[in-house]
Amino acid sequence: MLTLSRTEERAGQGRYNPIRRLLHKEGVAGYLFIAPWIIGFMLFSAYPLLDTIYNSFTEYKLFGAPQWIGLQNYQNLLFHDPTFGLTCLHMLLYVVLATLIYIIGGMVLALLLNRAFPGNHFFRTVFYLPSLMVGVAIGAMFTQVFGAEDYGLVNEVIGIFHIPPVNWLNNADHPILGLFALIAVNFWFMGGTMLIFLAGLKGISPTYYEAARIDGAGTWQRFRFVTIPLLTPVILFNTIMTLIGHIQVFDTALIFAGGGSGSIGFNTSVLGYRNSLATFLTYLYQEAFVYHNYGYGSAIAIVIFLITLALTAIVLVTFQRFTYYDR
Amino acid sequence: MLFKQKSFQRALVAETSVSATHVLSRQRDSRLYERGRMYQRLSMFITYIILIVGAFAILLPFAWLISASLKTTTQYYASPIQWIPDPFVWSNYVEAFTTYSFARYVGNSLFLAFYAMIVNTLVSSLVAFGFARFRFPGRTAWFILMLSTLMLPAQVLTIPLYVTFKSFGWIDTFLPLMVPQLFGSAFNIFLFRQFFMGLPRELDEAARIDGCSNLRIWWNVILPQSKPVVIVVAIFTFLASWRDAWNPLIYLSSQSNRTIPLGLLYFTNGFTAVYPQMMAATVVALAVPVILYAIGQRYIDSGVAIAEVK
Repeated sequence: MLTLSRTEERAGQGRYNPIRRLLHKEGVAGYLFIAPWIIGFMLFSAYPLLDTIYNSFTEYKLFGAPQWIGLQNYQNLLFHDPTFGLTCLHMLLYVVLATLIYIIGGMVLALLLNRAFPGNHFFRTVFYLPSLMVGVAIGAMFTQVFGAEDYGLVNEVIGIFHIPPVNWLNNADHPILGLFALIAVNFWFMGGTMLIFLAGLKGISPTYYEAARIDGAGTWQRFRFVTIPLLTPVILFNTIMTLIGHIQVFDTALIFAGGGSGSIGFNTSVLGYRNSLATFLTYLYQEAFVYHNYGYGSAIAIVIFLITLALTAIVLVTFQRFTYYDR
Repeated sequence: MLFKQKSFQRALVAETSVSATHVLSRQRDSRLYERGRMYQRLSMFITYIILIVGAFAILLPFAWLISASLKTTTQYYASPIQWIPDPFVWSNYVEAFTTYSFARYVGNSLFLAFYAMIVNTLVSSLVAFGFARFRFPGRTAWFILMLSTLMLPAQVLTIPLYVTFKSFGWIDTFLPLMVPQLFGSAFNIFLFRQFFMGLPRELDEAARIDGCSNLRIWWNVILPQSKPVVIVVAIFTFLASWRDAWNPLIYLSSQSNRTIPLGLLYFTNGFTAVYPQMMAATVVALAVPVILYAIGQRYIDSGVAIAEVK
């Protein structure tokens, strides 16, 4: 058998070229194709992660080599750093509320748009387009929309209801208003989850609704016992993606922190007026790249990473209790 | 907000009751049928109202933005808002491009975005071809590892990369932004792989029997069949680069290297804020996603569907 195939091959190829033969082996060719990603993973994921873990245990400034100080960075960060405590509080509020806006808002829009009627396409486009624009530019627009004086669009709108203009981004009495403005911006980005929900709704077979109807299920019951259970994989996917995305909020927070001046200058903090807009990444940015405190910055980075993992795990475990996979 | 939620809930109930009443009306007498029709009309009416109010709220800031970008500074601060600028100050755009160097920034951003789009899309599809069409030991393990990197926030890894790039002397060049694109990105690879798995293998086999090399199968057989996913990945890669603020902020420092997000972050004439010009620059930055969406609209819908089928 063995000799037969060998002679066959030799007969077929004429010349015997070991390199070409090696490249044509399925396993070798496969590894050659995925090699770019493996190399990129080693250089831009694995090495930086290990190095960040190591650096987080060191005192490491702009000049000089890292020096081992054990857990001191973590102790300072978790127990002696009020700014980080405030940042965590902000992120808890921001992530929970923004995720709720994404999931509930996206779901409601998807349910409304999940049937044919004139103008459906127009509404889809209007709701979806802003979610492609996330970033500094839309943040720049919203700094002005949340402008302090009565020229700001939001203040103009609430002025219709005779509410006096609010200083959203630099409020001395209630600095937290800046965070609420940051959360409110997410109303413009529900379209991304909406589109995924629409795809999910399209995948639910009408026979389930038919069966539920024959069994006498009402509207709410059909939503609760057919739509929701069959949509759980999609809800799970959307929740995890938005959670991870919201932990990484940066662009909008940074330009909001300019305090409406539209520029991050030398005298404005990256974290906003009285740290009112501190998020994980703006705080990491400030410590690591404004103050060049690499050791401390690494500890922050690791804590952010661990929180991301923990949140994802919590969501996965919670959903596992009532997930129905039907496909 | 409370009001909004309540009306949403009402709409939800109305929405789902449509089909219920429809079935009823088929089964019962015509009086019920008439009532069903009424419910259906009413629910459609409520749906429209909610959608119109929602769309109006979404579009309002953008209308304000465009209007603001064409105003003089005095008009900009006017209250109540002067929706139609008088006169139209088109020179705001000219100033944004010349005085505030946005011509340069747009050029930088376009260069980086086109580079990322072409290189990252090609490499990602090549890697995905490897995952989808070859059997080799460890394939599943690598694939799972790749998916798990999606949970790793990229910004968390920046410090070692910054230190490394600095020792190479790459700071304030485009290299730290360009080199990582050469290795593909996990999400793009995932999207391509899912799509390739759905393509029939017969064409590959036929091409192989005809003597095609693996690379030619990828280029001449697989890619031409994958137009939707190629377009979606290309658009999203372009936009990711276009709006990226983190990496340029960290790796670029001199003014001539700025990209659009940096230009907006540092938008000032050194003395006072120059909002109308800044809003003009913002309009330019936001126009690009709109144009790209218009181009790839047909495919983006299906592309999102690919992402969802896990």
